[in-house]
Parts: sequence; C-alpha cells; structure tokens
Amino acid sequence: MDIISQLQEQVNLIAHLAFNTVGTLQRDAPPNRLSPNYPEPPAHATEDGSNFSEQPKLMSTTLVKAAKQFDALVAALPISESGEEAQLKRISELQAENDAIGLELQKQLEAAEKELNQVQELFRQASDNCLNLKKPDDS
Amino acid sequence: MATATYPPPPPYYRLYKDYLQNPKSAPDPPPPIEGTYLCFGANYTTSDVLPTLEEQGVRQLYSKGPNVDFKKELRSLNGELQLHVLELADILIERPSQYARRVEEISTVFKNLHHLLNSLRPHQARATLIHILELQIQRRKQAVEDIKRRREEARRLLNESLATLDGH
Repeated sequence: MDIISQLQEQVNLIAHLAFNTVGTLQRDAPPNRLSPNYPEPPAHATEDGSNFSEQPKLMSTTLVKAAKQFDALVAALPISESGEEAQLKRISELQAENDAIGLELQKQLEAAEKELNQVQELFRQASDNCLNLKKPDDS
Repeated sequence: MATATYPPPPPYYRLYKDYLQNPKSAPDPPPPIEGTYLCFGANYTTSDVLPTLEEQGVRQLYSKGPNVDFKKELRSLNGELQLHVLELADILIERPSQYARRVEEISTVFKNLHHLLNSLRPHQARATLIHILELQIQRRKQAVEDIKRRREEARRLLNESLATLDGH
C-alpha cells in the first residue's frame, strides 16, 4: 500500500480513536453536581474507583501513539522540494532522453539486421558453392 | 385493467420512421453537458478535478496558493487536532453546552487533512510517471549495450572464420 493511503487510513484511525475516547469518557465519567440546590449525586456505580481512570488513560495513550505514527508517516513522505513545474520539466527531459535512446536503439537494431542479412547471404553463397561442388583453382 | 404482456413501444418511435432514407429527419441527440449538474441530489462536475474546500463549503485551515508545504501543514493540522480533542474534554467538564462548536472544529480539521492527502495524489502520479520513465530509459540503454556487444561478438567470429578460410 502506498504511503498516502497509509496516511489516509491513519487519519481514519485517529478519528475512530478520538470518537471512542470521548465516548468512553461520557459513558464512564461520574455524575457532577451542577448546583448546590440539587441533592448530592449518587456514588459511581463501578466496582472500584481505579477502573474509571484506567480506561481513558489507555485510550488517550493509544490516541497519542496514533498521532505520533501519523507524524512519522508524514516525515516518511517522499515529497521532493520541487513543485509541479519541476516535476513536469523532469518528465519532459526524461521523455526527450527516452526518445533519443529509442532512436539509438532503432539504429542499432537496423545495423544488426543488416549484418544478419549479410551473414545469411555469405552463408547461402557458401552453401551453394558446396552444393555445386565448385573447387578453387589450385593449379 | 391490467397492462398487456408485450406493450407497444413508446410513441416517439414514429420520429425515426424515415431514418434509413433520411437520417436528418430524426431528432438529434442532446448536446453534451458542461459545467456541473445534479444527479440524484448530488452535485457532479464534467471536469474531473478535486474541488477546493471552499467549493465544498468547508473552511480551509492551511495556507492557500500553488506551493503548499504538505509536510508542515499535515503536522500542524495533526497537532491542532490533538489540541481540539483536549479542548473538547475540557469543554465537556466546564461548559458542556458548547460542545457543538468544538465538534465542528474537529470535523473541519479532519476534512482538511483528507483534502490535503487527496491533493497529494497528482504529485504521486507524476512521481510514478518519472519512475516509470527512468526504468524505461534504463532498460533501453541496457538493450543498446546488449546489441552492441553481440554485434561486436558476431563481427569477431566472422573475422576469425574468414581468417580460417583464407588460411587454406
């Protein structure tokens, strides 16, 4: 997976963790007294007091780790300092170089084909000479 | 009254009665749509570009302009997001009725983050194209060197053969 997709999935993960962190805070937080006129709110219904503070700490730690992972992925982005114009210029240069090497390759192929035809012609002549049993004059 | 099993075609088929003899007698198709249009309630555009945040009705948090420092803006948006989450926790304790604005701020930051990442796609496409071109150039150079080497080898073998024949 490319790094931009990883970054997008990391953003979605951060959103998921932020949502769940706030959700658990709302679910587990003890009731708060809004005014002296109201009666004292009942004690928190969890089995022990430490259980409430553990869950938000764990989720907050996970959220911060996800944010740090996002920063690490941003640091690993292979973005060159050059902008769009430099990229397009580089593409044009590479295209021109590609065309030049293509012409060179075509020239080499044509020369190789020509030499192959010459060798085949020589081979054909040699074969004809052997078949016709021509002998060199060595008087 | 039930409809027939094979109902007749729509009445406008008569408009194409003389199409084979005279193609111009039939009505022309509608012209292509330009700009934006609505389709099932969603706004579409005929040009495939990423709409800006203002066009989507979202406030833009990073600097405008052609040359955006993506890394710096992404990091600052990430930090701003963490701050907004902390502020939301504080607001829920002290002023619970004002949570909506904080949630809206967080949503705006997320939209900006995703928009920035999507804006990186054209850069990624150009970088991929550069990489492919470099690979192609490398392969072509290799092919040229390979052909040259084999031509030289063939020429050497031919000269050796000719020398052997002349030796007789």
